[in-house]
Amino acid sequence: MELFLQQNINAISLGAIYALFALGYAMVFSILGVLNLAHSAIFMWGAFVGLLALDPEKAPLLINFILVGTPLTVIGMVVEYKFIQPGMNYTRSLHLAIQRLIALIIRVIWITILALIGQQIFIQLMPYFPETLTILPVVALIFASVAGGILSIALEFLAFRPLRERKADRLAQLISSIGAALILVNIAQFAFQAVYGRTEAFYPRDVTIFGIGTDPITLGALTITPIRLMILAIAIILMIVLQFMVQRTQVGQQMRAVAFNEKIASLLGIDVSRIYILTFFLAGAFAGIAGILYGMTFLVTTPFIGENIALIGLTAIVLGGLGSIQGALVGGFLVALIQTYSVAFGGSSYRDAIVFVLLFIMLLIRPQGLFGQPEQKRA
Amino acid sequence: MKYLRLLLTLCIIVLMAGVVVAQDDSMMMGDFEACEAPANLPDTVTIGAIFGLSGDISVYGGVQQQGVDLAVQQINDAGYLGEGVTLAVQYEDAVSADDAIAAMTRLVEESGVPAVLGPTLSTHAFAADPIAQENGVPVMGVSNTASGITDMGDFVFRNSLPESSVIPGTIAQSAEILGYTTVGVLYGDDDDFTLSGYEVFIDALDANGIEILGEETFARGDLDFNAQLSNLLAQEPEALIVSALAAEGVQIILQARALGYVGPIIGGNGLNSPAIIENAGEAAEGVIVGAAWNSVSDNPLSVQFVADFEAAYDASPDQFATQAYTGAWLMATAIRCADSVDPAAIRDELAAIQDFPTPLGDFSFAEDRNPVHDPVVQVVEMGTFGVLGADMDDMEEPEMDATEESDG
Amino acid sequence: MGALYEAFLDLTATVGITEPVLHGMLIAAILAISIYLTLYTGMFTLANAGFMAIGAYVSVLLTQQLGWGLFPAILAAMIVAGLIAIPIGLPVLRLSDIYLAIATIGFAEIVRILLLNFDNIIKSIIEGILASDNEALINRVMTFDANSELLEIRQLTNSVRVRFELIEGARGIKNIPVLTESWMLALFIIILILFLIRLHRSRFGRAMAAIRQDETVASNMGINVVYVKNVVFVMSAMIAAAAGGFEGHLNRIIEPGAFGFDRNVDILAYAVLGGTQSIIGPIVGGLVLEALPEVLREVKQYRGLFTGIVLLGAIVYLPNGLVDPAGVKGLFGTLFSRGKSKREGEVDAA
Repeated sequence: MELFLQQNINAISLGAIYALFALGYAMVFSILGVLNLAHSAIFMWGAFVGLLALDPEKAPLLINFILVGTPLTVIGMVVEYKFIQPGMNYTRSLHLAIQRLIALIIRVIWITILALIGQQIFIQLMPYFPETLTILPVVALIFASVAGGILSIALEFLAFRPLRERKADRLAQLISSIGAALILVNIAQFAFQAVYGRTEAFYPRDVTIFGIGTDPITLGALTITPIRLMILAIAIILMIVLQFMVQRTQVGQQMRAVAFNEKIASLLGIDVSRIYILTFFLAGAFAGIAGILYGMTFLVTTPFIGENIALIGLTAIVLGGLGSIQGALVGGFLVALIQTYSVAFGGSSYRDAIVFVLLFIMLLIRPQGLFGQPEQKRA
Repeated sequence: MKYLRLLLTLCIIVLMAGVVVAQDDSMMMGDFEACEAPANLPDTVTIGAIFGLSGDISVYGGVQQQGVDLAVQQINDAGYLGEGVTLAVQYEDAVSADDAIAAMTRLVEESGVPAVLGPTLSTHAFAADPIAQENGVPVMGVSNTASGITDMGDFVFRNSLPESSVIPGTIAQSAEILGYTTVGVLYGDDDDFTLSGYEVFIDALDANGIEILGEETFARGDLDFNAQLSNLLAQEPEALIVSALAAEGVQIILQARALGYVGPIIGGNGLNSPAIIENAGEAAEGVIVGAAWNSVSDNPLSVQFVADFEAAYDASPDQFATQAYTGAWLMATAIRCADSVDPAAIRDELAAIQDFPTPLGDFSFAEDRNPVHDPVVQVVEMGTFGVLGADMDDMEEPEMDATEESDG
Repeated sequence: MGALYEAFLDLTATVGITEPVLHGMLIAAILAISIYLTLYTGMFTLANAGFMAIGAYVSVLLTQQLGWGLFPAILAAMIVAGLIAIPIGLPVLRLSDIYLAIATIGFAEIVRILLLNFDNIIKSIIEGILASDNEALINRVMTFDANSELLEIRQLTNSVRVRFELIEGARGIKNIPVLTESWMLALFIIILILFLIRLHRSRFGRAMAAIRQDETVASNMGINVVYVKNVVFVMSAMIAAAAGGFEGHLNRIIEPGAFGFDRNVDILAYAVLGGTQSIIGPIVGGLVLEALPEVLREVKQYRGLFTGIVLLGAIVYLPNGLVDPAGVKGLFGTLFSRGKSKREGEVDAA
């Protein structure tokens, strides 16, 4: 009996992280109809940024990077919108592919110049920073989520928007997200190598959020790590906030309108483009927080932690229902429970297979998942 | 006649004094005595190295490259291959068996290197080493631990002690000293390293009459083992056997302790990394690691290597780095003694290496080109690795069995 | 003929395409064809890696354990994969779009996990038999143990240790002789292309295209949608299995990890990069995506990054993939007739 309870506790705290991750997935899919397979890469970057923020010796690097990066990004965006895009009008007489090629080349050159300038400034500034810098874990959480949100927006502009504008089908958007994921993971590999000398790094063990840390407490025969409970609490709070936002605020209403039908929503005067950006930001922020919480729970961070959780996230949203945000939440916990129970009943080697078999069965019996709407446009 | 003998004795004494004085110099890698300084090598000798430099195996491939780079730099600084001769390495990345084959083909057929280090994974080695064998180029695995590697041919070597050389001694020693009779086993079933380790553990446990109460598995990349550990610990084993790599090992140790387990945790080569102690902290007390390299050995070469590595990379070396470093030195020694870049000559010299001092200990290749050196059973005590039973006099010698059963 | 081949290899080797790379490219082309079939019918399935695994293991077991020749073994593997595809396809192909993709990804993962654990399953069965009271079965098992290298039964003090090694899980099946050669792969691809051309022109092929356009309309026109989809799925499975069989006899070792999710993604990328407007598209996509990392070997660590950029860039900037017959015609048209280059309705999204 105690074993059973212990297993349940294990499952629930794991489920909270899965649920947070799945939420972002579900948000983008339900509102925008896009399955963003780069979501797991954003999760990993959230963990990485969180790691840099929590490690006193590396935090200066992060702050320096932000100080240098922000103005450069703003400059870059100004140049893009004020010079490059209008400038493209001069090439209208050329074949479309050549136009695009020229645009691409100009952008690549410009971004490289910016990057090199940024690098120089970064190096020059570095000595002025203190050796160590301790950032509060709560602030680190914010860093991680904002980083996730920004990366997610970048994805939207680079990988999804151009495809949407030429009405590409969902398959193309999926592939685009896969390409973006590949790029993000590879850049992370270089970043890890540069900062740590190897593609593996560990969170400090003694992180406490509001005084709650990693030392296990025992209640009878059960053991609980307080930080996992804290993570559970954070996850639940965030989900409630999200739910509130979607159901009660005007912005949320607009998001639901876009989810229902984009054309109608734009006819109603909703700025669909803005909703896209907002949705991507939120989804990325959630992924980023899921990442740093994952890092605090499991300590080890590599550029590849997204790969495992990608399939789990997918399963979670399918089980919960591909149109539904509550579904993602439930799905995340469900997957964690199924995994834990499979292991508990002696099937540790088949754990993932069992999850997939249940996924299969769910798809055959009730494709819309537990909470989804029966087949409509989104399906 | 009397004077002759006196003269001879005097000469011997002078010689010995000279040798002693020469040895008083700081202990340096490389055997400058065994072979004369080579005179026939070209200005640059390039060997190949196939490591997993990207993808999730880059954790191993990356430090392997660091180990080899360090060795190459020292080799060149010391002029080990002769005056004005530089050793260079052409690195190739391999993330899959196809990749390894393409890399080996490129190295051996296109670039024409006379020797190759690696590949990182045994599965890659099984795919790519035959190409080196066919082309008569010696290849030395520095992290291949599966059985049957050197069976691929007489040009295939390895300097990484297979699990079957390390684990039996680990179990025998730890069982005798700690006296456990029941265990729970946790291992990764989808990874070459951990699966081979598991199988040798099972054999060793059977051979020592230890009862296995339960077996649980995990997949690579898993970090939550609470379910598996809860299962195993519910049966109250006296020891936990873990066949895992460092990243998972840290979590397994932490979670096992968090679940209230205070007994010994015993692992193989995978746990032989400073990351275990750094990141599991107090929980790692009492963890026993059977390994090919004693990271706290007072072997001066090992001490020197650790210091050099930390100075160069600001991080402590693990077993992967050490074996790669040693491998590079072994290969350089073979080239030095062969005094040529003829692969066959290098192969012969490699096979002839006996009692070569390395951070792993005195190293020799056996008849079947497997490594021969003493493995060690380590235990984490007071925040650092120590040798198990070091302060006990009647310690059983760990098995130095470098031959393996040929299965699969 | 051989000399011609050698000369060809020498030429390609200058850009880094050695023989193993060429093999990889040809296998990629076969896989691309297998997914082209399903995409052409509008089905977004990602099961090919799973069928490839089945093909590889079945053919390798036949050649290694039973001494079959390569071609009969691959043929048998294709048939096995096709038979497995039928019960999988029937329920799953009813699903649409993303759901279908996820279900088939799940299938491929299940195959991979089964392969990892196959020996354990047999082991458990044997342990069950030995623990039972069935004398006859126990004798059968003990005889098998005595006569085969696959099974090993050891008596311990309190129990029995059973070891069964056929598929060998993550360690992989090693020492497979290299039986596949480039001409086999090239020949197979040519046969497939000819077959596909016939298929396109046949009624069945037009049914496929109709289903892709709009399933409901197709069904109303009298096409048996379920039948067509399943047949296409089975064909795709068989081709993927053949690719697996060929690859299995190329790398000397096969292990389940080579057939996981990443493989599926690669296969999908071949088709989408190359474009699904014509048969040549996926083939080109496969050849390019396999060649790219090798050609870029100079830039070693940046290979992955470049592949990602190529993928992203191609998708965003080349609407219909690399091989776009309409696009190419348009390009030539513009180049040869300056002045009337304003393409209708084209909005510059740059």
